[in-house]
Amino acid sequence: MQDEESLVRRAQQRDEGAFAQLYEGHFDKIYRYVTLRIGDRTEAEDLTQQVFVKALQSIPSFKWKGIPFSAWLFRIAHNQVVDYFRKKKKYATAPLNESLRGSDINPQLAVERKLDIEQLLSATKQLTEAQREVISLRFASELSIAQVARIMGKSEGAVKALQHSAIVALRKILSVA
Amino acid sequence: MKNKEFDNILDECLERLLVKGETIEQCLASYPEQATELEPLLQTALAAKKISTIQPRPEFRARARYQFHSALREIKTRRGHRFFGWQPRWATAVAIVLILLLVGGGTVAAAGNSMPDGTLYPMKLATEQVRLKLTLSDLGKAQLYVNFADKRVLEIAHMAKEGKPEMVERTARRLDTHLAMIAYLVSAQEEAEMLMAPPPAKAPGPPDAGDKPVPPKQINRRAKLRLAVAHYAIQHPAALRAALNEAPESAQPALRRAIAISIAGYENTLKALD
Repeated sequence: MQDEESLVRRAQQRDEGAFAQLYEGHFDKIYRYVTLRIGDRTEAEDLTQQVFVKALQSIPSFKWKGIPFSAWLFRIAHNQVVDYFRKKKKYATAPLNESLRGSDINPQLAVERKLDIEQLLSATKQLTEAQREVISLRFASELSIAQVARIMGKSEGAVKALQHSAIVALRKILSVA
Repeated sequence: MKNKEFDNILDECLERLLVKGETIEQCLASYPEQATELEPLLQTALAAKKISTIQPRPEFRARARYQFHSALREIKTRRGHRFFGWQPRWATAVAIVLILLLVGGGTVAAAGNSMPDGTLYPMKLATEQVRLKLTLSDLGKAQLYVNFADKRVLEIAHMAKEGKPEMVERTARRLDTHLAMIAYLVSAQEEAEMLMAPPPAKAPGPPDAGDKPVPPKQINRRAKLRLAVAHYAIQHPAALRAALNEAPESAQPALRRAIAISIAGYENTLKALD
């Protein structure tokens, strides 16, 4: 991806190409983050789309003050997820769908991976809200500790502690399952 | 050992394991004193890494990309109109008069009934664009897209019966855009309502206490729109399925895709309207 700052500036001037690059560069990560946070594929698809439409509408107000665009985008995703839960008032428990898999892998691997991912998704639902957020950002979206800290509005030390407690909790849940 | 120090070691090992591709053993060798505590956590982290292999469905990826670009174009058009809001509509009105003078009203009327393989079809699409430009409200535009979707379905059925799969595909793509635009415009109208609402009152109260009431006229229009969409959500896929019986085999796969597009498109549109 091109220098993110210049891409964002171009996108703010409604440059379709710049928008497209920002969109493509973040789409999968946002989708995984939302999927892990809410655990429902169909809802995650709708929410992911909403995140980008919201970003499209709000990008003129984005100010580059050392905060990366991705942190801003994940903040929108976080708000959408919070809003989703507020509306639903309960956590989704739909089983993981076939379509969470990639489409180009061999069936045997697919089954193994599907089971693993299913177990993981189910296990993460039992974490606290903050632990799930850390796991989603760190493992599903593959962000650095510094990026996660910015998105969550916490210090890096606090995020590392949260990451530690989340992995310990996840281990316990998975060993019981 | 202090927790903070262990948190740092764990994070360093996670970076080495997940980003740099080192093995658990390599990490443990760097911290032999913490190895017993580290090992099970790193194993769990390695298992959790599988989450990053979750991929969006290709159909969803394509649909989302398309809708994003449609929304982008729509926003660009609106922003372009902001400073000289009257100008494009005047320009469009002048263009209509010119078209009528040049080709005659009868031709424009005839274009209304043309099919995608007809010579007057581009004029039919241009007329639709003019109608969209002359319509100010989001709900008004959404209603127009509902009408255009109805026309597209008739055209798809006709092209399928004629045995023209390429035309079926092309028109089905237009149908998909129309349905995506209805969903987008309905959401945009909702967003606009939320932005227009005054900030919530300082005193605690029900969450909607500060919202500006939506004018009854708007509610009626939205209800009518929903009714029309709900009607077509049943009628359109049914009409396309009926066309399957009369379509030659060469056009049937394209027609089946069009049926799938109409079902998924209406489902999304109804969701946006709920």
